[in-house]
Amino acid sequence: MIEHLLSFDLSALGIGYGTVLLFALLIGLLLTGMPLAFVTLLVALIFALGWFGPMAVPLITSRVYSFVSSFVFVSVPMFVMMAALLDRSGIARDLFEAMKLVGGRMRGAVAVQTIFVSVILAAMSGIIGGEIVLLGLLALPQMIRQGYDRKLAIGVICAGGSLGTMVPPSIVLIIYGLTANVSIGDLFTSAFIPGFMLAAFYVIFVIIRVKLNPDLAPMPEPDDRPWSEKIKLLKGLILPVLVIGFVLGSIYGGIASVTEASALGVAGVMLSTIIRGELTLSMLKGAALQTLATCGMIVWIGIGASALVGVFNLMGGIDFVSSLLKGVSDTPIIVILTMMAILFFLGMFLDWVGIALLTMPIFVPIVKDLGYDPVWFGVVFAMNMQVSFLSPPFGPAAFYLKSVAPKDISLGEIFRSLLPFIAIQILAVGLLVAFPAITGH
Amino acid sequence: ETHKYKFQSSDPAGNPNFELQQNWAKDLAERTDNQIQVEMMPVGSVVEHNETLDATGAGIIDGIVTDISYFAGKDPAFSLLGNPVGAWSSTDQLLDFMNNGGGQQLANDLFQPYGLHYVGSTTTGLESLVSKVPLDGVADLKGLKMRAPEGLVQDVFAAAGAAPVNLPGSEVYTALDKGVIDAADYTVFSTNQAQGLNDIAPNPVYPGFHSMPLVGVAMNKKEWDSLSPELQKAFEESVKQFADKEVSDLAAADKKAVAKAEEGGKIHVHDWSDEERAKFRRIAITQWEKVAKKSDKAQHVYDVLTDYLKKNNLL
Amino acid sequence: MQNEDEAATIPEAGILGRAINAVGIVFALGIIASALILLNEVVLRYGFDSPTIWAHETTIFLCAMAFVYGGLYCVVRNSHIRVVLIYDMVTGRAKRILDAIISLICLFAAGFFAWAAYGMVMKAIFRPGGEVHFETSGSAWDPPFPAYLKIFLLVVLCLMVVQFIVMAVNYLRGAFASEAGK
Ligand code: NA
Ligand code: NA
Repeated sequence: MIEHLLSFDLSALGIGYGTVLLFALLIGLLLTGMPLAFVTLLVALIFALGWFGPMAVPLITSRVYSFVSSFVFVSVPMFVMMAALLDRSGIARDLFEAMKLVGGRMRGAVAVQTIFVSVILAAMSGIIGGEIVLLGLLALPQMIRQGYDRKLAIGVICAGGSLGTMVPPSIVLIIYGLTANVSIGDLFTSAFIPGFMLAAFYVIFVIIRVKLNPDLAPMPEPDDRPWSEKIKLLKGLILPVLVIGFVLGSIYGGIASVTEASALGVAGVMLSTIIRGELTLSMLKGAALQTLATCGMIVWIGIGASALVGVFNLMGGIDFVSSLLKGVSDTPIIVILTMMAILFFLGMFLDWVGIALLTMPIFVPIVKDLGYDPVWFGVVFAMNMQVSFLSPPFGPAAFYLKSVAPKDISLGEIFRSLLPFIAIQILAVGLLVAFPAITGH
Repeated sequence: ETHKYKFQSSDPAGNPNFELQQNWAKDLAERTDNQIQVEMMPVGSVVEHNETLDATGAGIIDGIVTDISYFAGKDPAFSLLGNPVGAWSSTDQLLDFMNNGGGQQLANDLFQPYGLHYVGSTTTGLESLVSKVPLDGVADLKGLKMRAPEGLVQDVFAAAGAAPVNLPGSEVYTALDKGVIDAADYTVFSTNQAQGLNDIAPNPVYPGFHSMPLVGVAMNKKEWDSLSPELQKAFEESVKQFADKEVSDLAAADKKAVAKAEEGGKIHVHDWSDEERAKFRRIAITQWEKVAKKSDKAQHVYDVLTDYLKKNNLL
Repeated sequence: MQNEDEAATIPEAGILGRAINAVGIVFALGIIASALILLNEVVLRYGFDSPTIWAHETTIFLCAMAFVYGGLYCVVRNSHIRVVLIYDMVTGRAKRILDAIISLICLFAAGFFAWAAYGMVMKAIFRPGGEVHFETSGSAWDPPFPAYLKIFLLVVLCLMVVQFIVMAVNYLRGAFASEAGK
């Protein structure tokens, strides 16, 4: 039986049909309700076995080993731990109460403030995952409690929480810089304005939406509490602001590397809970266990995607994507737009590391040959990855939020909430392509 | 009969080294009338850079073009042969040792048990040390917070009084920029310059004194044995020519990049005196001995290497 | 707290599942330890100009163990993300059979990976000549973390295999039992 199964030679299909079968299998298995991490791992296994034979299977375990032992992911558990501690202490609630005061009587103020907070988090972190969990644990329940439309709240959190790879520092831009051999400093400088532009678009979208449909965000009740009480509430802001200042200061003051800074954040939050007299052993234990569960889920999704890309590359994936581009057109802009389409398509199925590994070797030389600035293209690439975080069926941002959202929020609802934000991101990609000057290039 | 091989590089796709490797693959195909067709794949495309030894031995990929010190965790001998810090003052010396001084045999003894045949050697040349602060000699290394990668390089800098910081390549840029570290072992001048490292750390030491990695071309032994003697010979010849081309191209690129960097007036290139270089080398050699004690193979590499250096009056 | 924790394990995971759930705290504490180690590192480096050679590698190792174990932890708690569009439409006995089939397919994958990981571990703990040598990181500190992590991955994959067998059996038993109940 196994013998028969193993003798089935998928490579006879050729890379074109092989790719089609791979994506079909991926969607088909996803729909059965099999856990996502195992779907990607299983498809990687089927193709490793069917295309090359059992001797290729160790490539998957090797990638699993390499993926988990990568330093950049250390910041994920740190952000999740921060979130889990804040969630269990009273800090989160106090923070949002205080934010309500600061926002005054503006409709949608908390959603706008959440985007503002996510930009600050993005400046503290180079990857995504932790921030979405953090915002999902803190901001989502608060916005729902205050009567915000769920979809709007979900969209703001997933889109805002993904900004970590658009606002410098960004691991996407660093990997791009290493791959394309261009200055990482130039990439960071060029990504600042597009990153803020995207965040500003989210803010404008929120303001317009709540203006057109006031039901989406209730007008805050006039607050007739005495000032003495309001000032007490504002004190709730002091500790979180100190922690954020501490972490940002350690990065920009040259005290800690980006990953180390996330650990300082954990220490800062722990210290805050001690100051507030809230830290207990059972709270610490609960937060640590939640971190374990959330990271297990986040990392295993990445593991599966990474394994799949390794197998696809070995199958000749790089050559295949390159052949898709060849002879598309002599008009440079058509070639660029085709690249955007390929990135968008891949973004539906793979995570950004896989997409970078697969497409950068092909795209960058072509972009240079066409006379475009590779730094500009790096920023466009990072913007495309923003779309990939949200786009179904493989939308990491949605998965991360789902892992901490209330049970009654389904993945389908999250993805539906993300559609307008994906549209905004595509608009931003379009603007960068049409007006490269936005990046300063 | 055509032989189609997949080789994984330890360089990313847009790196000049990778482009040179792709040109080598073209040259190899031309020499053999397309009987050997090598597809070069960038770092990490199939397995991670330090996992390629096992993957090639198992036949998952067919070969590698890699800095061999990445396999130091398998046997410290890889580290000692791959980057004997301070041993070489020029690429000619390294390549002569590898091709005529017993290095080839050493490398093959190391790779064969893992199921690989070591075809030949090349190098990227002397690396340039990236630094924010002016460094003009060993004394300036005292207490220097610098990023150094795994292995001998880290040991040597620690022995020279620096405080080596263990950071992955992906955090080097931000850590240097913000001043978490003052200096970094990275790569050759032209690539450092292209990636903007000299702009944020404007006191590079060039030519470097600390690191000249041996880049080896190795492939699955069964595949190698299945090649006819003529094809094997053509393969070896093509690697030799690749080495010459890589060394001269990268040296030219470095010169051009140095001229351009100095032109701007903001980057100050530091060149160490022979005396300081010798001082550093003496410190380095004490560390070779330490590594040699870690395994029999490492001791063997140490013996052959020091023997060659003595014979050629390089010690 | 204890009860809340145990309730998080799905009943089909059985005794093994509850054990896996209970051991989770060890690796969760590893994450807290990582944060403290990095804090210590920053203080030593920035405050005393004496960075350690072990902080980063230890942190990566502790987090990697937590990541690997976290995957197993989510299996026994059934908290891996699924697309439930069709899955939720299936109910009753059919659902239990579907769950059993999914467990069996995951078992098939985990089994293959465990086999592949076994080969990887052999290469990480023996030199080609057969001499025992635990693969190290190759750094100045040179700890045998790569070998430990590969062994740990193998152990977790083996536990996953057994856990999926337990779950498949329990799902099928559930499907059967409800039939008998009718
Ligand atoms: Na960022
Ligand atoms: Na997506």
